[in-house]
Amino acid sequence: MTSPEVHQLVWGRPISCHAFNKDRTQVAICPNDNTVEIYQRNGSGWELTETLTGHDQLVTSIDWAPETNRIVTCSQDRNAYVWTWNPTEGKWGHSLVHLRINRAATYVRWSPKENKFAVASGARLISICYFEEENNWWGSKHIKKPIKSTILSLDWHPDNILLVAGSTDMKTRVFSAYIKGVDGKASNPVWGDKLPLHTLCGEFDNDGWVHSVAFSPSGNYVAWSSHNSVVSLASGPNNPVITIPTNALPIVSIIFASETSIIGVGHDCVPFLFAQRGGQWELVGKLDQGQKKSVAANSAFRVFQQMDSRAQQTNQDVELNTTHQNTITSVRPYAGYPDNVTKFSTSGVDGKLVIWDVLASGVAGLRI
Amino acid sequence: MSHRKINVDQYDDEDAFVDENQTASGPTADSAQVEADVNSRAAEVRNYLSRGDVAGAVAKALENPPAGRALQTVKDRNTATVMEALAAARSTDIINIVKGLSTQQMDILMKYIYRGMGSPELYNSAILLTWHEKATEVGGLGGIVRALTDRKTV
Repeated sequence: MTSPEVHQLVWGRPISCHAFNKDRTQVAICPNDNTVEIYQRNGSGWELTETLTGHDQLVTSIDWAPETNRIVTCSQDRNAYVWTWNPTEGKWGHSLVHLRINRAATYVRWSPKENKFAVASGARLISICYFEEENNWWGSKHIKKPIKSTILSLDWHPDNILLVAGSTDMKTRVFSAYIKGVDGKASNPVWGDKLPLHTLCGEFDNDGWVHSVAFSPSGNYVAWSSHNSVVSLASGPNNPVITIPTNALPIVSIIFASETSIIGVGHDCVPFLFAQRGGQWELVGKLDQGQKKSVAANSAFRVFQQMDSRAQQTNQDVELNTTHQNTITSVRPYAGYPDNVTKFSTSGVDGKLVIWDVLASGVAGLRI
Repeated sequence: MSHRKINVDQYDDEDAFVDENQTASGPTADSAQVEADVNSRAAEVRNYLSRGDVAGAVAKALENPPAGRALQTVKDRNTATVMEALAAARSTDIINIVKGLSTQQMDILMKYIYRGMGSPELYNSAILLTWHEKATEVGGLGGIVRALTDRKTV
């Protein structure tokens, strides 16, 4: 298979977010509206198998729990749904989550054990959701203080208890999301001994709002990217924050590829690799070398494609040298998760879903 | 009445977002000390300039910029010092001066370039545009994004 593997899933519309199932044979995307589309791998391409409808407004985030095979979605309509596969009917059914928020939900992620999920929102709080057996629904507990503004992203610590949140009040915070009756005893050598719900285990200042956050595979490091084109890392509440300023436009989504490397994507339309080399974190380079594509003949297909995507009839050369033709809004691990990610997937405003091979991406002398 | 002019935070029961500019702390907390620093720096920069060391003057002028909303007059004075240093450079020397700066100094330089271009009646925008061109050439778009995003204005 060639790398990168490019799939134009939707034309003329952004992909807001995407999530793969465990064996990567299916992918759920939001085509920038109130629906979620499920695609099935079909040879080298993808086939639309089902459209999940239920949300009233833009779906902002999707996460697919690999083991329990449940999808959780959240939306600007202030709701989240947990979707489960119904084999007798052959389709996905959904149950409502009791979020209790009065602003848009912005981001959702399953915990590693898949018995909880966290929903970020514009209501300046995080809903930690868990299944209430007695009521037979997903209930939630809120983390409110000291959040001063919208939360844009979340990531779970591998211990299933700690949660990192990036906020538009320019702070990155690590919270305990311990739920009594769901979680066992909680303690962490790096982030704190006593971890009841709401415990603030770390708060880090930035000069720009925080786009994306991630825990390292061990959970000892937390990394985040902020709108001032800086990627930062911290280990524990008291150690100094490591900052990596870049010459590029802001990075809006990051993942750890290993304990010592980070992949970030954003407004520059290419994935960037950051790595710890010789004890020092630095920007290693772009994972998309950007070759000028040969422009195909002016076929009828191409003329209509131009009219659809750019409202142009003549075949002007406006292609970027990069694989993605617009901002990349989401990056997720594809193979080798969590501590040796060899492949990752990205989606963005150009409606493309791209699967990248880290080693085949052309960074010379790359050692992670 | 435009709904955009309503302060929505006053209808909120919890404390509103606190502007970083109002709570600037750390090295710039003590305003008398900051003012003394700015004045002595202005003298040092003039010293560098009288010796013809423009690169040294620029690096000195970009040291430890005052931040915080309460310090507007001090900030204005420091901006004047930086502009003096920037205006003294010959346009052919600018690229080498910029290349000699650290990433942190580059970010501060970019902030002052935008600050200066915000007052075209006081400072020569043509000179600042030349500096902007060279700073972008060396520092990329990241420096511009940082200058526009940072709430701790100079």
